[in-house]
Amino acid sequence: MSYRRLLDRWLGVMLSLIGVVATLWLGFTGQLALYIHPRYFAFTVIMAVIAAVLALAAFALVPQAMVPQDPHGPGHDHASGSGHDDAGKRRRRRLGAAGSTLIVAAAVAGLLVLPPATLSTATVNQRDLNGAASTLSRDEAIELVGADYTTFTMKDWVSLLRQGAGQEFLAGKTATVTGFVTPDKSDPENVFFTARFVLTCCAVDARPIGLPVYSPGWQDRFETDSWVTVSGGFETNPSQISGETLVMVPDSITAVPEPDSPYVY
Amino acid sequence: MPGRARRPAMGLMVGLAVIGVLLALRILSPATGQATWLADAARDFVSLSISVVIESLPFVFLGIVLSIGVQIWLPEGFLVRRLPKSPALRRPVLSLLGMLLPVCECGNVPLARGLIVRGLTVSESMTFLFAAPILNPVTIITTQQAFGWDNGILVSRIAGGFLIANLIGWIYSRHPRPEALLTPRFQEECSMEDHAGQATGKVGRSVQLFVRETGAMMPALFIGAGIAGLIQVGVPRDVLVSVGSSPVWSVAALMVLAFVVAVCSNVDAFFILSFGATFMPGSIVAFLVFGPMIDVKMLALLRTTFTAKTLLQLTVVVALCSAALGLAVNYVL
Repeated sequence: MSYRRLLDRWLGVMLSLIGVVATLWLGFTGQLALYIHPRYFAFTVIMAVIAAVLALAAFALVPQAMVPQDPHGPGHDHASGSGHDDAGKRRRRRLGAAGSTLIVAAAVAGLLVLPPATLSTATVNQRDLNGAASTLSRDEAIELVGADYTTFTMKDWVSLLRQGAGQEFLAGKTATVTGFVTPDKSDPENVFFTARFVLTCCAVDARPIGLPVYSPGWQDRFETDSWVTVSGGFETNPSQISGETLVMVPDSITAVPEPDSPYVY
Repeated sequence: MPGRARRPAMGLMVGLAVIGVLLALRILSPATGQATWLADAARDFVSLSISVVIESLPFVFLGIVLSIGVQIWLPEGFLVRRLPKSPALRRPVLSLLGMLLPVCECGNVPLARGLIVRGLTVSESMTFLFAAPILNPVTIITTQQAFGWDNGILVSRIAGGFLIANLIGWIYSRHPRPEALLTPRFQEECSMEDHAGQATGKVGRSVQLFVRETGAMMPALFIGAGIAGLIQVGVPRDVLVSVGSSPVWSVAALMVLAFVVAVCSNVDAFFILSFGATFMPGSIVAFLVFGPMIDVKMLALLRTTFTAKTLLQLTVVVALCSAALGLAVNYVL
């Protein structure tokens, strides 16, 4: 069987298997959380197993079952086999085969060769940090005001600041948060954000949130995108040029490894 | 045909070997750490694209499994026999048939061809063809998962899809010679499909359908995921925000995007989710209604059945309706 015919027939199954192997491996090594919300874990793994069974059944049975002409194929960019063998058609089929090979190569590289990674400051810059989409409703933030602040997560603190919790509420309260370092756009010398991404479905909809930290010369000690745990209280921002009104003034900043579950939900 | 004599056990071994090679590749490649030789933006492009793939894959597989169940394991004519006789009632019922035939738009073209052969009129099959990708449970679930009930996106998508599909059906039911809408080659391809269906047992046909459906959907999904990642990383944020906040331009931009990227309706909500923060809700609705009905891939598939003139008319009508719907959501809701 020619390479093109082989590719036409097995392209979908190959791409499925690449996706299935990547999904199951991510699930097995506990890294699915880098890409999707935990509520999808079980469903994703179960469907991957079902697809693996179907793909294996296809390998076992399709050579007997498949007819050479594929009525679904002629319209599809990467399929062929309609039997109209003029020169233009052959050229298109060659291009289609090259395109299909490229997709498989890209899928293998992205899903099976490169190490899984979290989003970085490059994506923070493409999206509004603590931006338009509210992370918590106003009611939830009001409930937070009376709650035990020692259990507050970064999302809680960000919500409180966004809802305009004043200095009198924040006075004397110490926050401890873990996130990655990303510079404040208005005063990158003196202020950085301890940031996390909030996921609704998957990494594509990740919205960055973060708490501003006043720490002149932080670049000498921490790299952008490295993970830190910051502990400190909130004060009026000493920086004259930063756009942030309130900042954390840290008692301690400790470099930590990236957590297993880097996103918040 | 080469390979016909290969025995199932041999095929199974080949399949297991392929899985083994892919798994070995993944295990031998670095599991953690960062590919520091890649720029941050390139790494994020990969991460964003992969997340679209990983999130969408189970839903694509679910759609294929359900479509195998309905197309192969339900008795022949089970659904068509139960349709009302009156044409005015048949079309709305047919547009809801997608609820029971949860396949995405690529799978619907062969189904719609089959429906014409079994005695449905051309206009009735068009109603089914355009409604089913939107009014199907997998699409509705994924849209709900992505957008919830916010901004009326889910409701507008469902209502818009239903109305536009029925409008198309009504328009073409008034055509004096509906057979002129079809290409001459269409009959021949239908009979070929039926022949293929008869050739093997149900299990054989099921895996055959799995191979065919993944063959149509997976390349589109991977290309779509790549484009989604690329736009997120590559298009400057200022451009996205300025286009996305205009009630008119946001609708136009996302309709063009829907036409070009041609992501399956089962998972297009996850694709467009990343635009939710910067683009107006009406533009998201226009994307979610226009894309499943008309895009580059659908036109190519539909060309196997309908004449070029018919497709041009369909594209214009669907585009105008989707734009009107999008603008209505932006200005009214």
